[in-house]
Amino acid sequence: MPRYGMVIDLKRCYGCYACVMACKVKNHTPPGVFWSRVLKGERDEYPNTVRQALPVLCMQCEEPSCQEVCPTGATHTLDNGIVVVDKDKCMGCKYCMMACPYGARYSVEDWESYFPDGLPLSPYEVFAKAYWEEHSGVGVATKCDFCRDRLAAGDDPACVKACPANARTIGDLDDPTSEVSVLIKRFRGTPLNPELGNQPKVFYLAPR
Amino acid sequence: MDPNVNGQLQRDWGWLIAAYLFLGGVGAGAYTIGAINGLAAGGADFSTRVGLWVGFPALLIGTLCLLLDLGSPVKAVLAGVKLKTSWIARGFWIISAFMALSLLHLVLLEYTAVRGAVLAAIAVAGIVFAVGTMAYTGILLGAAKGIPFWRTGAVPVVFVVSALVTGHFTLLLGIVLFGGRGMAAADALELMTAEAVALVVGEVLAISFFLQAAFKQPDSRESAERILRRTSFVVGYAVLGLLVPLVLMLVLRYGLEDAAARGYRGTAALGAVLGLVGGLLLRHAVLVCGTLPTWNIAGFQFRRIARPKEPKPGIGLLPPR
Repeated sequence: MPRYGMVIDLKRCYGCYACVMACKVKNHTPPGVFWSRVLKGERDEYPNTVRQALPVLCMQCEEPSCQEVCPTGATHTLDNGIVVVDKDKCMGCKYCMMACPYGARYSVEDWESYFPDGLPLSPYEVFAKAYWEEHSGVGVATKCDFCRDRLAAGDDPACVKACPANARTIGDLDDPTSEVSVLIKRFRGTPLNPELGNQPKVFYLAPR
Repeated sequence: MDPNVNGQLQRDWGWLIAAYLFLGGVGAGAYTIGAINGLAAGGADFSTRVGLWVGFPALLIGTLCLLLDLGSPVKAVLAGVKLKTSWIARGFWIISAFMALSLLHLVLLEYTAVRGAVLAAIAVAGIVFAVGTMAYTGILLGAAKGIPFWRTGAVPVVFVVSALVTGHFTLLLGIVLFGGRGMAAADALELMTAEAVALVVGEVLAISFFLQAAFKQPDSRESAERILRRTSFVVGYAVLGLLVPLVLMLVLRYGLEDAAARGYRGTAALGAVLGLVGGLLLRHAVLVCGTLPTWNIAGFQFRRIARPKEPKPGIGLLPPR
């Protein structure tokens, strides 16, 4: 059984948000819910300012604080290392959202329209809402699961597939010959804020 | 930008959770002080009765607030499953035990002739779980790794002290409203104003230590700054909920002294009500000022900006009708 991890090369990411949109299209997340996000940061002072994009998603931690605080056992780690939420066990207390230092979890009471002024749901939104309610649930915690259905089918997650710069790579962290293991070793991949102690399985290769 | 997208501020726990934490603190605090007074009096005094009549109902209403906040309340029966790691699961059992014991204590004291060692044993067990309930309301936040402002040992201390203060004010209010005008009630009232001074001073020290510690940490400094900019915290809690009750209790203790004096009871009741409202505002402010840590990589800091109060129409959005 592989232990899935992801490498994101920050030298390659130019912040186009293709991963954000691919995730939205794949998972039909409602307004305000972004399992995959891109943040922008700055370093140094003008005129030497450098901008950098930072794609973030659920870090699929080895020591997930969301799982630790979950009172019902809804959040659990699969054998392949992916942290998932069992919507039939989650009571929607939102404690996991307070415990995740990466802000990767969302809970919504209802799938509301993308359009303002109380317009009825469009046919696409009706479909998306039904998909969301079936797969993620209403009022319960939701999060990225590395598109585990696609992984099971031998395909890459939607964000990895959509990235035009090939900034994202997914693979088996336990296999020293896998592309992710080689990238982490060769380019010294580091997780985001390792001092938090969650041991994320998403690694970043440093920007220039 | 929506904070659920950018996520710097937590907006998922608000008034309902604040009310849950507040009522848990009030109920457990009132029970603890009342039960200790009862044990010291060799049975039960009036404050014990007030504590009992407040304890169980406050926890019951607080639990209802929590249930209303749940996204899927029908699954709340599973809340105690992960006792080993989750503070909500531990709290589920602590609060359940406290509610059962306080209800038993109330029924035995008010409706049966059971007294003596049996009642004392139930009171001691009830106090243990009441203290556990007070501590739980703070530890629940302290165990949340995602919010550095809460993740400090000072939060449980602040919440326990605040629970004792609000519990004490509840007892004081109960004695003013239902204690009659006899000598016993007057003596109890005088003693309670003196105790209130000590407890409020303790809360001032605890909250000062908490905010000072939060300022020292870069990740929680923003939360500390936000809380000190909140009118509900500065005016509602610090001034009206802490300072004014402290001054009123000092005036009662050292100015009027005699509980039979004119205006004594009204002033005591005013101080108690302000203190109680302050306790609720404190918890709400601590909750809504929680922010996620800043992320650092290769010298870049990634911070998420807070949402403007009203979303602005932009490209692709329909103009308001």
